[in-house]
Amino acid sequence: MFEIFKNGNKLLGMNARNLDYIRPYNRKKAKKLADDKILSKRMLKKGGIPVPKLLAKIRTAEELENFDWSSLPSSFALKPNRGYGGGGIMVVYGRKKNSGKVLVSDENEIPLPVWIKADGSKVTVEDIKSHILNILDGAFSLANMPDIAFFEERLTLLKLFKPYAYKGIPDIRVIVFNHIPVMAMLRLPTKESGGKANLQQGGIGVGIDLASGVTTTAVLGKGKIIDYVPGTRMLLSGIRIPYWKDILLLAVKAQEVSGMGFLGADVAIDRERGPVFLEINARPGLAIQVANLSGLKERLERIKGLKIKTAARGVRVGRDLFGGEVEEEVEEISGRKVIGTVEKVKFIGKNEATIEIEAKIDTGAMSTSIDIDMARQLGYGDVLDFFEKIELPNGFSREEGPEILKGLKNKYKHSDLYDIDLIYASNGVSFRPKVKMTFVMDNFAINANVNIAARDELKYAAIIGRRNLGKFLIDVNKVS
Amino acid sequence: MLYVTCSMKIMENISPLIKYFIAQGVPLDTVILLLMLPIVVTLIAFFRQVIGIKAFGIYTPAIVTFAFLAVPQLRYGVLIFIVVILVGMLLRFALKGLRILYLPRVAITLSIIALSILMLLSFGGAMQRTGLAAVSIFPILIMITIVEKFVAAQIEKGNRAALILAVETLVISLVGYYLASWPALIKGIVAFPWLILITIPINIFLGKWDGLRLNEYFRFREVLKNLK
Repeated sequence: MFEIFKNGNKLLGMNARNLDYIRPYNRKKAKKLADDKILSKRMLKKGGIPVPKLLAKIRTAEELENFDWSSLPSSFALKPNRGYGGGGIMVVYGRKKNSGKVLVSDENEIPLPVWIKADGSKVTVEDIKSHILNILDGAFSLANMPDIAFFEERLTLLKLFKPYAYKGIPDIRVIVFNHIPVMAMLRLPTKESGGKANLQQGGIGVGIDLASGVTTTAVLGKGKIIDYVPGTRMLLSGIRIPYWKDILLLAVKAQEVSGMGFLGADVAIDRERGPVFLEINARPGLAIQVANLSGLKERLERIKGLKIKTAARGVRVGRDLFGGEVEEEVEEISGRKVIGTVEKVKFIGKNEATIEIEAKIDTGAMSTSIDIDMARQLGYGDVLDFFEKIELPNGFSREEGPEILKGLKNKYKHSDLYDIDLIYASNGVSFRPKVKMTFVMDNFAINANVNIAARDELKYAAIIGRRNLGKFLIDVNKVS
Repeated sequence: MLYVTCSMKIMENISPLIKYFIAQGVPLDTVILLLMLPIVVTLIAFFRQVIGIKAFGIYTPAIVTFAFLAVPQLRYGVLIFIVVILVGMLLRFALKGLRILYLPRVAITLSIIALSILMLLSFGGAMQRTGLAAVSIFPILIMITIVEKFVAAQIEKGNRAALILAVETLVISLVGYYLASWPALIKGIVAFPWLILITIPINIFLGKWDGLRLNEYFRFREVLKNLK
């Protein structure tokens, strides 16, 4: 019981968020900026941060009546300027051709466009008008204040996210405090959230390792831990977010522009434009802690009062402090390359003959070994023919092995035959010819003594043994 | 009303301050209700900051508490509250197709709820439940108007969240009701009205309380497990 309360100290609750972070670090003026989407869009753009294009805004019912509907593109997002929690956002994906209704004016008939929403339902100009009237009326704004509606460019979905996102565009929420990214999550829209990425609306939040930009654990809605996208077998962990460093940098820069000390920055990735800044949030939600299974308060307290001079420095500090082990870092520290269990290897044989294949990294084997056919292609046909003629003894015991090997080595000499290996396997003992050869793996050239064996029944025509792996570290999770 | 019957028994132990108010013509009920208000709102603040039960802000649960205190039998108050919320919820679906603006929609909702309550009262009369029809108009009006909060929550947060908030409001109001009609507390206030000033330091403490709310221990249970 005591343990729970002690650990509770590491978590950021609603009270602490409001009292200890929003109140002292987010001045009223800055908060106003964050709550005004059009204004913050303009400020961010001025600060050199890419934002979705503003297509049009509607301030009054009069402007709505006079609005030129044909000026809208086939896809767009309609938003309330002071909306919050993702409420009141309407996104359309395409325009229907030849809609039924016709606007009759004095001279000619103009067909009114009809759009299609995420769920395939139709949206007429009438629907949009009524939605905008609700927005103007303040139905979606804080404290029901009269509001402005605006149309915004709809971003296009990155291919990587396609299997994970239902209709809408996923975005990345980064909590920034004191110029340092503190925690991040990928927000995926679901069927329940109606194509919106907000967790409050039923979206999925996936924690992201700050250092590597790879996703970790996931939460559905406000608190359900999940492993897969509901209804599919799409694993939510292990997704590598592209442009990771740029995204963190954008988030920190946005904090500098906004003048807020503590905020949630939402960044999306557009297929063409790359990272695009969506919005700043003066009151970021707390579910990000569930997505990351980790506490915010503990992290915030660690960086309170640090002096950070540049955005790039802030990003580095955040990644170092709050990220897990990163591969690049491991490589830097150990001076060794991190490889997976299967790697592309280029073997260089005699007379510059080369073969590039996928080889298995086999720490259970001492030597590197390749298939007979492959060895012939690499120019070792001669030595193989020579070796095949040797009458190899069999039916001897394990103890006799080394003695026999010694005899063989002394008796048979060939310029390419560097050595003979005696291999103990479960099915008995065998001799293998060994040749000198160079191979290149992950840009490292390695001079190896490679033994040749019949591997035609095995999955990989080559294995790389322990003796040649000294310059590498093996990460079983890595896929090359 | 509640307090008059209660206060008859405690007349002998009455504070001079209360006696002064009564001498000036302020009804005893009004005095006690006004002194009860700081306690009820402090209770609501406590529920929000420490337990994490939100309800519809502070006004709604407070006013519903007093509406409950003003009905002759608590169950009728609760019944009216539930009917108001249920009809409000049904009307949301019924009015969705109309696509009309916020205020006219709330106006229609309020009107239909008023008629529903009228029917409920007369139905109660027909069933020989005279207590229901005898509920005075002000608690009824108060409870009808809270539907605006409910509709606003429906639009902002969705049906489920709005319903949860309504249930939370009901729970807080019930706790408030039992607290405010607790004889020992009434006796205490009548004898030592200064005691209610304690609510001010309590609220200062609540206003500075930055620990996790009780429901957040539940909300973050998976994280807490992981932090060990």
